[in-house]
Amino acid sequence: MNCYEHTLIIKQDKLENHSKTIINKYEDLINKNSGKVLKTEEWGLRNLAHLIKNNKKGFYFHIKFEGTGKTIEELEKAENIDQTLIRFLTVRVKKHDLEKEYFEKRES
Amino acid sequence: MKRKKNFRSNKKNFKHKKLNLFQKNDSKFNKKCPLSGKEAPAVNYKNIKLLKRYISESGRILPSRVTSVSLKKQKELSRSIKRARLLALL
Repeated sequence: MNCYEHTLIIKQDKLENHSKTIINKYEDLINKNSGKVLKTEEWGLRNLAHLIKNNKKGFYFHIKFEGTGKTIEELEKAENIDQTLIRFLTVRVKKHDLEKEYFEKRES
Repeated sequence: MKRKKNFRSNKKNFKHKKLNLFQKNDSKFNKKCPLSGKEAPAVNYKNIKLLKRYISESGRILPSRVTSVSLKKQKELSRSIKRARLLALL
């Protein structure tokens, strides 16, 4: 089992409740494919530093999980098709830092 | 004597000045790597405050000869800056 961090950006025009159902969908997908979600952070609505596909803002979510290569394969396969996502990034880390949070959720 | 004085004042100013891509490096041989050592901050693509110090105004990565970051840490830096760019954090 390896440790991974996964960040994804959801389009702004989706309502906030809707974005939570999307994140739950991917958490289930990780848990199904021999993975285990440890923590989910919500960074909230943030301005993008530059335009991506004509989007100015996006909902940021950050998932820390354990899993294998197959977990990621399935996860990214599903995300590549998803139209509601702007971008995602998976990073492998040696050890999870579950305490420190760099982003606070802003009310806007 | 005069030269020595000048050199010292240069070094003092250096700390407060914002790093620039084209600046002359006066105190190159005195500076230690700011990211190595025991209490150094962790280089991470989420730590934007830290990463912002090592890019120029136009968003380019500053060379290590300007910032005097060690080779190992410079590699980490450039990798995490590129990750942050991908997520539109920088």
